[in-house]
Amino acid sequence: MPSPPKPSQTSPSLPVVEAVELTKIYHRGREEVRALNAATFRIERGEFVAVVGPSGAGKSTLLNLLGCMDAPTSGTLRITGQEVQGLSDQQRTRLRREQIGFVFQHFGLMPTLTVAENIALPTLFARRRLAQRVDELLEQVALSHRRNHRPHELSGGEMQRVAIARALVNNPQMLLADEPTGNLDTATGDTIISLFQQLHQAGLTVVVVTHNTPLASATQRQLTLRDGRVD
Amino acid sequence: MLLLALRNLTRRPLRNALTLSGLAVAVAVLACLSAFGQGYRSQLGSELDRMGMQVMLVPLGCPYDAAARVLKGKTLDNSLPASALTLAQHDPAVAVAAPLLMVALPRPSEGRTDMWVGLDRAALPLKPWWRMKSHVTPGSNWFPSDDSVILGAEAAVTEAREPGDKFYSPETGQTLRVAGVLERSGTSDDSLFFVPLATAQKMFHQPGRLTAIALRLRDPALISEATTRLQRIPGAQVVTLTEMMGTFLNLVGSVRTLLLAIAVLAVTISTLSVFNTLLAAVVERTGEFSIMRALGASRSQVFGLITIESLLLTGLGSACGMGLAAGLGYGFENIVKQWVPFAPSGSLLSLTSSVMLRCILISFGVGIGASLYPAWQASRLHPADAVKMD
Repeated sequence: MPSPPKPSQTSPSLPVVEAVELTKIYHRGREEVRALNAATFRIERGEFVAVVGPSGAGKSTLLNLLGCMDAPTSGTLRITGQEVQGLSDQQRTRLRREQIGFVFQHFGLMPTLTVAENIALPTLFARRRLAQRVDELLEQVALSHRRNHRPHELSGGEMQRVAIARALVNNPQMLLADEPTGNLDTATGDTIISLFQQLHQAGLTVVVVTHNTPLASATQRQLTLRDGRVD
Repeated sequence: MLLLALRNLTRRPLRNALTLSGLAVAVAVLACLSAFGQGYRSQLGSELDRMGMQVMLVPLGCPYDAAARVLKGKTLDNSLPASALTLAQHDPAVAVAAPLLMVALPRPSEGRTDMWVGLDRAALPLKPWWRMKSHVTPGSNWFPSDDSVILGAEAAVTEAREPGDKFYSPETGQTLRVAGVLERSGTSDDSLFFVPLATAQKMFHQPGRLTAIALRLRDPALISEATTRLQRIPGAQVVTLTEMMGTFLNLVGSVRTLLLAIAVLAVTISTLSVFNTLLAAVVERTGEFSIMRALGASRSQVFGLITIESLLLTGLGSACGMGLAAGLGYGFENIVKQWVPFAPSGSLLSLTSSVMLRCILISFGVGIGASLYPAWQASRLHPADAVKMD
């Protein structure tokens, strides 16, 4: 079972995510697309939340905003107590690097790096050297024997475990996963779901965007998006 | 970051190898050109310095061609009047006036042309590098008799002669005795056959004829007034070595300009090649850069990664180019030597640390210049694209 991550220092009473009237509008030519429409919700520390909804409901937009990869058009978004709107690209990058871990549907591993180097990649951007942390994570995701392998030598499940280990290496406050089982068969997907549950039980806040019913059912709470609104 | 950049370069080995080869060739051309330019100037200066003379009297015609031929031990079609020597010797500024007769002796059976030089004792002070490797009279460096010949180091090897040996010249019907063999000097003297001036004039049926008169002045500061006087000698014209060096450098400058244009073209092409390689790499790896940004890489870190990749590529290309220049530079030298009017003896390729440093800096400049736009493109990628990719 994964050891509890060591989150960065923030007040334990603050929610990890606090969104008030969160709105994101895109412009497609003259057309205005309201991808997220006055969404208000909170995600408490240590929660395991699934963001669900039909295609086009605004899940990806929400993921981008929660991951500080985009700025809201209006409303307020606080990540670990810090207001995101108005932050510069550099400040959002720092927040993303220090507070958030990402897991992508297609794993997003660097093909030229080994498993261990892929896990260590975010520490390079954070200018830290955490060799011991990489070893711990390799052990936690049961991939110590694969540390010097390249991604193309791994199975889908192994690649996703590497991606999860990479997301945890900087000890984030929140793990954001975009369809983490979308590219995996059912058995492998179950392994990943189980890994998320273990991380949640260890105290980490986990937010998954998914269409996968077993994964959504495994979470504590579901945030359902419909036409850019949170039901 | 360096490791990441290095690994990325191994991703497209053929494409990167081609880019690297182009860059290596450009750097090699640039290095050879710089080395040749530097080496030529320094060798020419030292060769002219070693002549020990400041002025040369040559027959009327192109003075620089005549002087270059004399310096390289080649014959001239016309000659100086005998009175020129007397007039030169009586000039108050002249310390040494050494008459020379140079004759080319074709030897079709051997497939070569021998150069014979007739000189008198006045030439000795102008040839400080004249050292006898061996001589029939140890310690002497002159002809013991009128039928003596002194061979340059190369000429002795070609003729397989040693001091004391008889030397028969079938073309002139003359039998001479080898008085000495010169030590190798790295100058054109190495391949010449030296005889006393009177012997040469007799051997080649050119009594009283002179090809040139080499002059050393009492004081180099007198060169201007001495030249004015010497110009008045009928049938002769004056060439100063300073003028000659300037003329040669100007002529070589034209060759250098041509070669420089080639080098600039090669460097421009390799810059575009590096630019193209990097831009293609950025387009191919758009998703990866977005993922890096999502994982916390700053714009400057992504920019830096591309720049490092470019510098690694150009650094490697530059190292290969230096190796190429060192390995093939002498072949390049032989080609370029044919184009220059007066190629001093010895190697003209001076691949010094300053030449290498200059080329490396240019190559890194190429690396940075070529990486700017691709690196900027990569750094502008949006982290949200990492999610869109999914």
